Amino acid sequence: MTRTKNMCYEGSSKRLFRILLCLVSASRFAPSLIAQDFDQARPASSSPVMRARAILGLDGAANNSMGELSIQDDAFVFSRREGPVVRMPLSAIQGAFLSQEDKQVGGMPMAFGRAATPYGGGRAIGLFAHKKYDFMTLEYFDSNGGFRGTIYQLNKGQGQVLADKLGAKGVHVSGLEIATTKQRLETNNAK
Amino acid sequence: MPSRRISLTAVAIGIAIVQSVLPVRARAGINDGRVLQWKVEVNPIDAGDSSITPEFRVAIYENLVTELTKAKQFSAVLRRGDSSANGVSNLLILKTTVESYAPGSETKRAVTTVTGATKLKVRSRLCTRDGQVVLERVVDGNVRFFGGNLRATHTLARNVVKAIKQGTLPEATPSNQAQ
Repeated sequence: MTRTKNMCYEGSSKRLFRILLCLVSASRFAPSLIAQDFDQARPASSSPVMRARAILGLDGAANNSMGELSIQDDAFVFSRREGPVVRMPLSAIQGAFLSQEDKQVGGMPMAFGRAATPYGGGRAIGLFAHKKYDFMTLEYFDSNGGFRGTIYQLNKGQGQVLADKLGAKGVHVSGLEIATTKQRLETNNAK
Repeated sequence: MPSRRISLTAVAIGIAIVQSVLPVRARAGINDGRVLQWKVEVNPIDAGDSSITPEFRVAIYENLVTELTKAKQFSAVLRRGDSSANGVSNLLILKTTVESYAPGSETKRAVTTVTGATKLKVRSRLCTRDGQVVLERVVDGNVRFFGGNLRATHTLARNVVKAIKQGTLPEATPSNQAQ
């Protein structure tokens, strides 16, 4: 009887040990991926060039291509390591919209890792492996006069810097910028 | 024995008939191969009464252009305001109005699996230049498990193109074909 009890205890402790092992290994994996993303981020204010991902709609660049965004003279420039530089005259931009969204980090490998982690460990990873990004949506007309739209994903905080720069150049910017301006006004009023 | 030979011959003739008729029927299928004569202009997405963000509107629009181009259902896919659409009479205009939009959360989806879905429902209309509605469909697109929220717009665009493929378009009249 005591022997079977001991065996039961051994079995449950083994299972517990396995769960802990999975969670520990997964939790080791998640921060490293997040850290990789943070390493890529640059201080927004010090650098005039911002790393960004062209999510979709950019003529002459594949969807989800990484590159650097900048404003040179009167053009909005997206340059990549490979491939031609995409220039968009600021006068062609009809409107810019800034938003913020939460995204899971790590991409597909991480998603598979989460799905493969047993005992709901993947959900625990999902709870921590996410990051906020700024999204800049531009609506503009191309050289043929056709309406186009592009979406850029930037690191948190950089979207506002870009929006301020675009606003200074006379582009109509809406979205998060308005909210933050209101917040600033409210805080000023409170003071 | 002769009856068996006769039945085999009948089967062979049947197969030959089916093989010869099938491609013709497929060619004459739903759209009768006439869609290639139409050009389509995609209009920007109308938000309607929904609170859809510009990010989603733009994503739907761009995905629609991409998917329509991929589908090769029309001889040309043009954007709103494109100068090459001037003077084209065999032009259909794709108007899309958002009927409902439920924003989701990727993190909620990753953690709970059952909540956080992004749902989109739009009404797509293909109209002629004079405003006559040729095709009207209500289509939805959503993302429930894997992927970012914007993936819903990709699913939606594919569903819209599928609905257009399955629909019946009128024949472009000779006056329409003249450019």
